[in-house]
Amino acid sequence: MLAELINPYHLQVASFILINIILGVSIYITLSTGQLSLANAGFMGIGAYTSALLTLNFDLPIIVGILAGTLMAGLFGIIIGIPTLRLQGVYLAIVTLGFGEVIRVIFVNWESLTKGAVGLSGIPHMGREILNTLKGFGFDPKVLGLQNNQFVFLTIFLLLLVITTSIVMFFRRQNRSRVGRAFAAIKLDEKAAESMGINITYYKVLAFAQGALVAGFAGTLFAHVLAYISPADFAYHRAVEILIFAVFGGSEVIWGPVFGALFLTVMPEVLRFISEYRYMIYGLIIIIMMAVRPQGLIDVNILNWIKLKTSKRGQKHGTSSQKSM
Amino acid sequence: MRKQLKRFAKLTALSSLLVLSACGGNQAAGDKEGQSGGGAVKADIGVISYISGPGAAYGEAITNGLKLAQEEINSKGEVEINLVIEDSAGKQDQALTAAQKLMNSENVTGIIGPTLSTEMNVVGPEADLNGVPIMGTSTTAEGIPQIGDYVFRNSLPEALAIPAAIDKAIEKYDAKKVAILYGNDDVFTKSGFDTMKKAAEEKGLEILTIETFQKGQSDYNAQLTKIKGLNPDLILASALYNEGAVIMDQARKMGIDVPFVGGNGFNSPEVINIAGDAANGLIVATPWYGEKEDEKVQDFVSKYEEEYSKKPDQFAAQAYDALYIMAEALKNAGEADRDALRDALAEVQGFNGILGEFSFDEEGDVVMDPTVLVIEDGAFKVFE
Repeated sequence: MLAELINPYHLQVASFILINIILGVSIYITLSTGQLSLANAGFMGIGAYTSALLTLNFDLPIIVGILAGTLMAGLFGIIIGIPTLRLQGVYLAIVTLGFGEVIRVIFVNWESLTKGAVGLSGIPHMGREILNTLKGFGFDPKVLGLQNNQFVFLTIFLLLLVITTSIVMFFRRQNRSRVGRAFAAIKLDEKAAESMGINITYYKVLAFAQGALVAGFAGTLFAHVLAYISPADFAYHRAVEILIFAVFGGSEVIWGPVFGALFLTVMPEVLRFISEYRYMIYGLIIIIMMAVRPQGLIDVNILNWIKLKTSKRGQKHGTSSQKSM
Repeated sequence: MRKQLKRFAKLTALSSLLVLSACGGNQAAGDKEGQSGGGAVKADIGVISYISGPGAAYGEAITNGLKLAQEEINSKGEVEINLVIEDSAGKQDQALTAAQKLMNSENVTGIIGPTLSTEMNVVGPEADLNGVPIMGTSTTAEGIPQIGDYVFRNSLPEALAIPAAIDKAIEKYDAKKVAILYGNDDVFTKSGFDTMKKAAEEKGLEILTIETFQKGQSDYNAQLTKIKGLNPDLILASALYNEGAVIMDQARKMGIDVPFVGGNGFNSPEVINIAGDAANGLIVATPWYGEKEDEKVQDFVSKYEEEYSKKPDQFAAQAYDALYIMAEALKNAGEADRDALRDALAEVQGFNGILGEFSFDEEGDVVMDPTVLVIEDGAFKVFE
C-alpha cells in the first residue's frame, strides 16, 4: 500500500524543492535588512566543498561534515560581511557577486584539493548512508514493504522536510523578535534606525552571517543528496537562480521565497510534457509575473487576504494566525 | 488591490490548468506501458538529453540520430522500441530527476544518455543502484563506465582518441617537443588535458610549457607568444571548438605554423567556419567520419540530410549507433527485462555500425579504432 504511493521521482523533486527553499530563505534573511547579497551561491559552494572533502578524505560521518561545512560558510559570512557591509545597494551586489566568482575560481584552480573543473564524485549519499547504518542494526526496509531506493528517498525527504520546516519556523519566529524588528527598521531607514539606538553594523553582519550559514547548510545538503559537485554548480547562474526565488515569490515575508522556490522548482518538472519548449514557458511565466506583480507574488496583502478567506470559512483556521506576520 | 487580486486569481487558474494538463500527459504515457511481447521484443527506452539551454545543439543532434535509428529498427519488425525523451537542460539535478522519472514513473527498460559527463556522474550511480542499464553516447570523460556494472558508453573516450591522434602526428612530423594549451574551467577540456599530458609523457615527448585559458576568453596572445618563443614541434590543445578556432586563428596570425592536435571537443566543422584558412593543420581523432566510403555511412548521411536538412555530426552518429546496439542487445535478450538487457549489452562484440567495428570491454567501455582526421584546404580529410 505504502510502497505504491512512494515514487522516488516525486521524492527526488520534493528534496530539491526543500533544498531550494532553504536557499530562498538564505537570501530572504539578508534582504530583510535591505541588503542585496549575491554571494549565496559562493557560500553554498563553501559549505558543499567543505563537507564533501571532509567526508571523502577523512571518512567523517556526514553529520560532522554538514556541521563543519555550515560553520565554515558562516565564518566566511562574518569575515566577508564586516568589510563589505559599508557598501549599500548595487555596490554591495557587485562586491558579493565578485566574491562568489572568486570562490568558484578557487575551486577550479586548487586542483590538488578540489580536482578542479572535473569535480568531486563519490561523495557519501545521505540516504544510502542512513540505510546502511540502519541495516547495521538489523533493520530491513522490507518490513515497511518498501524497496531500498524507495526507503532511501523517503528518509531523505522526511529529513529535509523536518530541517526545512524548522528553519522556516525559526526565521518566522526571529522576525517577530527584537532581532527581526531591528532588521525591519534597518531595511526601512538605516539612519533613523541608528538614531533609535540600533547597532546597525552588528545587525547587518548578523543578517549577512545568518544568510551565509543557511546557504552553506543548503550547500552541504546539496552535496550529500547529489553525491557529485563541480565548481560550475556554484557559478553566477546559481546566484541569480537563488535571487529569482525571492524576486518571484516576493521578499517582504518569508513565505515569498518559500513559495518562489517551490513554484520555480516544480515548474520545469511539471512542464516536462512539452519537452524543449518548457524553459520558454518558464521564462514567460517569470516575465508575466514581473510585469504584473513587481513586488513578487506573495506580500503582506496577499497573506492577509488568505487569512481573511480562511477565517471566514471556519474560525479554527484563523485563531492561531492573528500575529503570523 | 481588487484588480491585482483578480489577476492573481487568473494566474492561479492558469497555473493549475498547466498542472492539470501535465497530469493528463503523464496518464497517457502510463497507458502505453502495459504491453506484452507478441512477435517482436517491445521495450521502452528512456533518453535523457540536453535539449534546452546553451548546449541544446548537442541534444538536438542526439535525439535526431536516435529518432532516425528508431524508425529504421521498428520498420524491421524484430524489435519495437518506444523512445521516452526527457530534457536535462545540461544540469545535474535536472538530469537526476529526469532519470528518476524514467526509471520509476515510466519504467523504462534501459536509458540512453545523459549528454554531459558531469550529468552521468550523478545519474550513473543511481541507475546502477536501481539496476537499469544506461548507455552514454557523448560522455567521454574518464571513469564513466567504471561507475558500475549497468553503466556503458559507446562514445569514444578521450583516453583512446587523443593518444591515437598524437601517435599519428609524431609519426608524420617527427615531433619531440610539444606545448600544451587547455581550458582549465571546463570539465571536458580539463579531462582532455589530463589525457594529453599522460599521453605525451608516455611517448617521451618533452613538454615545453603548459598554458591555460578560460571559457569565453577572446585574447590568447599572452599564451601564444610564450609558446612561439619556445618553438615547439606540435601544439596540443584541449579546447572546445569555439575557443579552439579563435586560438588557431590568432596563432596563425602570429606566425605559429606548427600543427595542432585537439581533443573530441575541437572536432567540429565549425572550426573551419570560424577560423577559415587558419584551421588548416588541426589534427583530431574521431569515431565518426562522414565522408567514409561505406554504404552504411553514406546511407545514414543521406537519410539524415533528407530528414533534418543538415549534415550529421559525431553526436548524431554515436546516438544512432547506440540505439542499434540497444536493439541488438534487446533482440538477444529476447525480452524487455533490465537485467537481461544488461547481460546482453555486456556481450555485444564486433558490432558493425556506422562508426566502424564496435565492442564493449569487460567494464562497459569502448573498444574500437578511431579515425584520425586533419583539416587541409578547408576540409576534414583522413590523416595519413
